[in-house]
Amino acid sequence: MTDRPADREVERSTWAPSNESGQPAWGWILQAVTGVLVLFLLSFHMIANHFMVTKGLRDAASVASWFSNPLVVVLEVTFLVVVTWHALLGLRAIIFDFGFSPRTERRITWILTVVGTVAVVYGICLTAVIVSRG
Amino acid sequence: MTVREDRTSPRRRGVYGWVDPRGRRLGHWAFILNRLTGLGILLYLGLHLVVLSMLATGPNAWDNFVSLALTPVFLAMDVVLIFGLLLHGLNGIRVTLVGFGLVVDRQKALFVSLMVIGAIVLVVASLHIFEVG
Repeated sequence: MTDRPADREVERSTWAPSNESGQPAWGWILQAVTGVLVLFLLSFHMIANHFMVTKGLRDAASVASWFSNPLVVVLEVTFLVVVTWHALLGLRAIIFDFGFSPRTERRITWILTVVGTVAVVYGICLTAVIVSRG
Repeated sequence: MTVREDRTSPRRRGVYGWVDPRGRRLGHWAFILNRLTGLGILLYLGLHLVVLSMLATGPNAWDNFVSLALTPVFLAMDVVLIFGLLLHGLNGIRVTLVGFGLVVDRQKALFVSLMVIGAIVLVVASLHIFEVG
């Protein structure tokens, strides 16, 4: 037996999965929390865009009038943020399983954060354009 | 290092370990399906953002897309998407519950019942989609 952290007895967090040092695995916890939020927000998104319109899909005019409601804008933007976060956390988890050094892992996290931020900012700008049309 | 000697440890298997069925039980396949559907949905998310950009260019581009989106081929792809979403979401509920230490001993039954619910929802959704389209 080598003296790796996993081999020593480590006091583990009791309420959630933990890492080698026994600390709660915040990446996993965030993924679970955003995942639950996605379940609710996606249901809203699906119902709003497919079940409230006659053809099952909104045309441009219908989208513009739907987005004139500020509550809709808030919910859809929140959905964008939460789903992007959840997706990139998942991608990060898959990438990390290939086993990189802690320094490389920090860089990967940084790159994914930038990608996520760009996607969200783009989505918000797109929403602003749609709202201004309505 | 003792890690490489164990034939079934993650380091020894590498990426091939995702599909290597030796010593694998249902839980492993649930995990792999969650990852595969997750990657698929991520791809869809990218496509979705690109397509939604048509909304910004003006009503004509988007309305043309809508008529394309209502064709049977597209609707069939929608059913595949919903299958992926259901699988990933319902399995995710299981992962979250088990990860927080709840329902651990009935995990397999939970997985199977959630997938059955998913199958029912998928059938209902497909019927609805092709009725409308």
